[in-house]
Amino acid sequence: MSPASLKSAAALDSLLQPLLAAYGPPGRESAVRSVLRRLLRGAGTWEEDAIGNLHLHRAGEGPRLLLAAHMDAPGIIVTRLDGETGQARLSILGGRRPAELVGAPLRFEDGRAAIVSWDRKEGADPEMDQLLVETGVGRAAGRRATRANGSRPLDVGDVAAIDDRPARLGDYWCSANLDDRAGCAALVHALTRARRVRYDVHAVFTAQSDLGARGATTGTFGIDPEMAVVVDVAHLGEPKETSGFSLGKGPCVTLKEQGFLAHPEMLERVRKAARAARVPLQYLIREGEGSDARAVRAARSGVPTAVIAIPARRTGGVGSLVHATDLEQTAALIAAILEGAGGAAGERSKSKRTKTKARAGAGRTKRGGRT
Amino acid sequence: MSANGARGAAPAFREDFLESLSNAAGVSGDEHRVREIVAAAVRDRVDTLEVDAMGSLVARIGVEGAGVRNGNARTNGSARKGRLPHVMLCAHMDEVGFMITAIEKEGRLRFRRAGGIDPRVLVGQVFRVGGAGVRGVTGILPPHLVSHTEEDKVIAADDLYIDIGASSREDAMRHVAIGDTAVFDTTYEAWGSVRKGKAFDDRAGCAVLASLVQERPPVPVTAVWSVQEEVGLRGATAAARRVAPDLAIVLEGTASGETPGAGPEESAPRMGGGPTLTVHDRSLMADARLVDLLRRTAAERRIPTQWKRPGIGGTDAGRIALSGAGVPSAVVSVPCRYIHAPAAYLDVRDARRTVELVWHALRAIGKEWSES
Repeated sequence: MSPASLKSAAALDSLLQPLLAAYGPPGRESAVRSVLRRLLRGAGTWEEDAIGNLHLHRAGEGPRLLLAAHMDAPGIIVTRLDGETGQARLSILGGRRPAELVGAPLRFEDGRAAIVSWDRKEGADPEMDQLLVETGVGRAAGRRATRANGSRPLDVGDVAAIDDRPARLGDYWCSANLDDRAGCAALVHALTRARRVRYDVHAVFTAQSDLGARGATTGTFGIDPEMAVVVDVAHLGEPKETSGFSLGKGPCVTLKEQGFLAHPEMLERVRKAARAARVPLQYLIREGEGSDARAVRAARSGVPTAVIAIPARRTGGVGSLVHATDLEQTAALIAAILEGAGGAAGERSKSKRTKTKARAGAGRTKRGGRT
Repeated sequence: MSANGARGAAPAFREDFLESLSNAAGVSGDEHRVREIVAAAVRDRVDTLEVDAMGSLVARIGVEGAGVRNGNARTNGSARKGRLPHVMLCAHMDEVGFMITAIEKEGRLRFRRAGGIDPRVLVGQVFRVGGAGVRGVTGILPPHLVSHTEEDKVIAADDLYIDIGASSREDAMRHVAIGDTAVFDTTYEAWGSVRKGKAFDDRAGCAVLASLVQERPPVPVTAVWSVQEEVGLRGATAAARRVAPDLAIVLEGTASGETPGAGPEESAPRMGGGPTLTVHDRSLMADARLVDLLRRTAAERRIPTQWKRPGIGGTDAGRIALSGAGVPSAVVSVPCRYIHAPAAYLDVRDARRTVELVWHALRAIGKEWSES
């Protein structure tokens, strides 16, 4: 590794750690927003929207480019309580199978701890209604409870995150929150290191992605981009992918996933940028799994979109593994796109550009008029 | 502050609205009878009243001239400085029911369900079919002719038919056409604080909303009585895009859980336990700030509230929240026992408290939201 890339890798590590540590189940992403605002201080103008998306605008010449990575990571919500025992039933927020959560430590936003147990049934994977939140705070403990000792009883509707302990294992990062904090880190790193940016850049860190690309739906509408790149994480074999990929062999570009088919022009843009940045690319075709791209590409009258996915592998419990080199190369690829290595504004046909520019101008005037 | 200057007590819950709305037939896509009742109830109280392209009824109060944003603006969910937030209140007019899909040679009507109905409640029921409200029953063999083993079986919905007493297809077609809708034949009744009727999901919400607009609300309000909620939250999807509100509160009649076999912690919410608030359902993470405002308002007014069980169901709020650049949204429900079935119960005190809670929440929104 060259000294420059070593330095870059160290920088990425220092970005990733606070992002992995931040509390952020779907709909409760405020801590992640705080970390991102700190990491990208001075990088542009900030806005938060109604659903919780964090939007960074770095004004520039060229088409409006949307970059999206989601902030939320899976969590649980308390659905029913047994006040006597301090046990509760839960509903999973986001894409985790019940079996993966058994034994997982939980942390509520106010710091209370709990653990997921289950009504044991041999020979079958647990269903969600077999899972239990064990708080240890039954009626007796509840009477003595104070907020200070962290033993306030639960309430229906309380939301918890997986109490994650991110670890660096050799070349790999291991954490429950890599999907998609790894994407957030790659995006932050790319925005920090890219020079001569050829776009009017709108980076949107989306909320509630795990509940069905909800943040991306409203966030894209508000920005009305001319093209978009979604950065997410793809897990091996989950639930099924038809093109093989491996960890440590570079970022994936998605050809097809749930609700999304790669836009040929955007695909070519990613390929060219990868060649320019000397980043190896893998291809991803997955069934029944998707990303924010399905909402982004369908916003308004449609947005040419590409998905860059960081390869990951499940550990079987709550954790995933991501290869540090893949993360580094994903950031390099995004930076190359920002610098116009994939062909920037000038590549689009002239008539298209005139039209989109005119529309952009009109949009801004209208917005200005209303504020 | 002319249009929205009213700062008085909450309007009364109009039980007469609930009664006529509950008795009216309005299966998804066929809501016009319900719409006419609502329109008559609110026409003199609102600034504008219109029916949108899908059939939803849209009433504006204090919205014109209040400088509200239009559909393409971006918003961070807060009102601009110095103006009151524009609130969309929404209740759906449609009910789960049936559509006649075929008329057989013998005069029997085959049907499909519109919306989620447990097939186990269909057998032996009386229905009102079509615009004329012809009565029909889902007939089965009398017990004399049924073997013991058959008694334990649930008859699949596809094997049932509605019998209107017609002797032939021609006879049946004098009263019914393919595509007609049918509802449970249930008449509204009252005893004590209990009210019995069909379609409380969501005529309870419709009646609460019609009651609310009898007085001028303290903020600009667009009230939407939406169509086709039960078949996929469709009417509200279109309406929200056009209304483009700053905030939304959806009014519902939701399932209470206190039925035999349910454990104590499964039974929430309870009928009579007060307005029910949603944190999370299959369509929505309710806006945390708006839920907090509702809870504080309830505490100040000494209105009991309860939580809807998270993770189940979905409402128009899920679509409204994702419309345009996003709309902070919450759901307030009247807990009802036995929804999506022939007859439901509600406690009229819950409906009254829901009107009171939403009214005072609108006042609090006027105070708190415009400053942010």
